[in-house]
Amino acid sequence: MMMSPAVLTRRAAPVLACIGLLAVWQVASLALKNDSFPTAVEAVRAIPDILGDKESLTNILASLRRMAIGFGVAVLVSIPLGLLMGRSRAIAAFFNPLLMVIYPVPKAALMPIIMLWLGVGDVTKTLVIFLGVSLPVIYHSFEGAKAVEEKMLWSGAAMGLSPAQRLVRIVLPAALPEILTGCRTGLVLALITMITSEMIARQSGAGNILFNALDMGQYDTVFAMIIIVGAMGICLDAIFERVRARLVRWSEPQFDMPLSFS
Amino acid sequence: MMSRLLPSNLVLGIAPIVLVIALWQGLVSFGFAPAVLLPPPGFVFSRLLQQLVTLTFQQEIAATLIRLFAGFAIAVVLGVSIGIAAAASPAINAVVRPIVRVLAPLPKVALYPALLLLLGFGHGSKVTLVAADALFPILLSTYYGASTVEQKLIWSAMAAGTPRYEILFKVVLPAAMPSILTGCRIGLVISCIVVFLAEMITSTDGLGHALVTAARTFQAVDMFVPLITISLLGLILNGLLGAVRSYLLRGFPEA
Amino acid sequence: MKAQQNGRGSNDAPHGCENDRLSGRLLAKFVPLNVRASETEDGMTVVPARPSEWMSPVTSQEPASAIIEINHVSQVFQTSARKDHLALSDISLTIEEGAFVSILGPSGCGKSTLLYIVGGFVSPTSGMAKIRGHAITAPGPDRGPVFQEFALFPWKTVLGNVMYGPRQQGVRTAEAEAQSRALIEMVGLKGFENFFPKELSGGMKQRVALARTLAYHPEVLLMDEPFGALDAHTRTRLQNDLLNIWERDRKTVLFVTHSVDEAVFLSDKVVMMSKSPGRIRQVIDIDLPRPRRRNELLLDPQYQKYVVDIERMFDESDEAGAPT
Ligand SMILES: Nc1ncnc2c1ncn2[C@@H]1O[C@H](COP(=O)(O)OP(=O)(O)OP(=O)(O)O)[C@@H](O)[C@H]1O
Ligand SMILES: [Mg+2]
Repeated sequence: MMMSPAVLTRRAAPVLACIGLLAVWQVASLALKNDSFPTAVEAVRAIPDILGDKESLTNILASLRRMAIGFGVAVLVSIPLGLLMGRSRAIAAFFNPLLMVIYPVPKAALMPIIMLWLGVGDVTKTLVIFLGVSLPVIYHSFEGAKAVEEKMLWSGAAMGLSPAQRLVRIVLPAALPEILTGCRTGLVLALITMITSEMIARQSGAGNILFNALDMGQYDTVFAMIIIVGAMGICLDAIFERVRARLVRWSEPQFDMPLSFS
Repeated sequence: MMSRLLPSNLVLGIAPIVLVIALWQGLVSFGFAPAVLLPPPGFVFSRLLQQLVTLTFQQEIAATLIRLFAGFAIAVVLGVSIGIAAAASPAINAVVRPIVRVLAPLPKVALYPALLLLLGFGHGSKVTLVAADALFPILLSTYYGASTVEQKLIWSAMAAGTPRYEILFKVVLPAAMPSILTGCRIGLVISCIVVFLAEMITSTDGLGHALVTAARTFQAVDMFVPLITISLLGLILNGLLGAVRSYLLRGFPEA
Repeated sequence: MKAQQNGRGSNDAPHGCENDRLSGRLLAKFVPLNVRASETEDGMTVVPARPSEWMSPVTSQEPASAIIEINHVSQVFQTSARKDHLALSDISLTIEEGAFVSILGPSGCGKSTLLYIVGGFVSPTSGMAKIRGHAITAPGPDRGPVFQEFALFPWKTVLGNVMYGPRQQGVRTAEAEAQSRALIEMVGLKGFENFFPKELSGGMKQRVALARTLAYHPEVLLMDEPFGALDAHTRTRLQNDLLNIWERDRKTVLFVTHSVDEAVFLSDKVVMMSKSPGRIRQVIDIDLPRPRRRNELLLDPQYQKYVVDIERMFDESDEAGAPT
């Protein structure tokens, strides 16, 4: 594991996977010969056009800004709430049913209603992203805090930490791996909510570009946009993974355990 | 967790829901929000009951449910089998891991236009989208569960004469079941969300379509009805999954 | 030292029937701390390579034959911290059919690893283990492990766990169920057939684990500190149960334990191991009459002497510092 060739292969593997997927796409599109299914090469060629266009670029950057704000605020609110729920039965009993009712509701579907009240501005879209991110973060913080060992808290109390201090100094770090799992899910959901809310509102942003192109039959642009959004997802996830690895170096890597049969 | 809630906890849990509805009613009654924008809750719920008995609305629900179940089922079958295969075979692992790393964080709705172009505007594209979105949580938690199966369980079965490939079904699968079901729960919620969104984006039927139709005509009441319906569906399905879970995991501690 | 007395005694013993049985077990058992490979090859094996010429170590009158042979087994583990870790170094040991052999040694000396090698779960870095002359390459129903952690299938009931082995061997359901119910009754768990493992106490789980392994009739039982996690009372009861079962079925048992008492009480032969790297330090024969009764044995000066001597040997090695 510590050998550099192994690290190299691990680093290179996702890149290879990307190339492989693009190759599969290329072959499939050549085989299908479908007008509405451009080849990977055509799609990739269309990317500079989108990113070079000033309006598209500002639209995409505006999308990202909304996403960042929605995500940030959601994380700041949800983690304390989740931790409190995890450490207090009463608070958990209070919020759980409400959250269970809200969880399966697609937050982007609230767009039309919120649009009625707040208009189609940044506030609406950011609010929807906020709602989309909060639930997984609350859920995972809750689970993480619930699993914190009682004895750790007892020893904290014995050292004279107040309940609030225990929450910050013991529960938060102990639940951090789980919280970060929630944040990672939240990040993906933020992206999904961003795209869909823009698809529904059809005003501006990455989702709008995507569906306008679809309506206008600019298939190269559609697929190029898919690549751009996909790359956004993969990059954000990779960055997040870096941060996560830094923050919870002490915890075991979750998905790196081989199953041994012998 | 829900089954062990005490009645007092139940009251505590109902309280915020009641509060929300009361606030909603208050907003309407005291004229903070015009009824056109925010119809009173009583009105919405009676409309919901009224709709639930009509055939057209039932057909919308059925369309949504069919897509949801089809997509979810595909995701479960693929996710569990790929997850276990990746945990059991280093070769499959080497292929699957990087692909999953690339595809898992990709927002699948962005693929929806491509699916529409390739699979048409019917069930196919929506079911595929649901499956693609629900797949990864199930796959990852299956993989995690299967790779952390206690070695001694496998050894015990091998010592009793179980051939290697049977170990997968007789030990790894049941032992990974808690983790698999956790993944399924996340996958189910995502399925609910995605099927609705897909229907909102393009569809001629389903709950999402009902919402969009209402939004086009500014019928606020009819916009609430499908939302509440999908929330209820989510609750019911989650409850069913919970029942399946407590049956399948009846032998596991803390299930 | 007791051990040395035994050694001398065995050499002096005439080749009579009863004494022959003893001498067979007592000959050349004292492998020094650092046996070099050459020495071992020169015949200083832990147990004579041809045990068939002696009588069975137990009260049975059949001639003893080696069922398990461990030949120069070494095990190296790759660890991230220390590059290579030699867990077992050149272990040779022969176990005769029907014998009850205990392995004693400090924590981390490789007892479990040795057991896993015999089980076929781990393949040794060098050397090999054989059962009835065939190399062990994989687990098989002829060797039944009982793990310290019980390792019961949590998704199966007590009955389901015990039935697993027979069903796997192709026994028909009805028959497997009847056999399993009988076994469950034998280990004293009648009435708990439909309980899940999580609903049982530690001692009960251990009984189920034993019954599950016995259910597929392994010739050799490999028990890794099976009673380590139990309270003293349950432990005593299970030791008696195990002895009763063993005296009835005469299976070969390889039994890892930390408890000198337990080893002496149960075994025909105690293998003492030393740490880092794991080696066989000594093999001691326990010449105590069977069937053994705990209350009689505890007062038996011979038993006490065995316990005290073995404990003293461990203390000495501690004082001498870590062996090279
Ligand atoms: N899978 C493994 N990888 C690396 N090292 C291992 C592995 N298994 C065991 N070891 C090392 O081998 C040595 C022997 O381990 P083993 O479990 O056999 O000891 P033991 O005698 O059974 O100890 P205990 O009495 O505590 O159970 C230990 O030093 C341990 O660190
Ligand atoms: Mg051990």
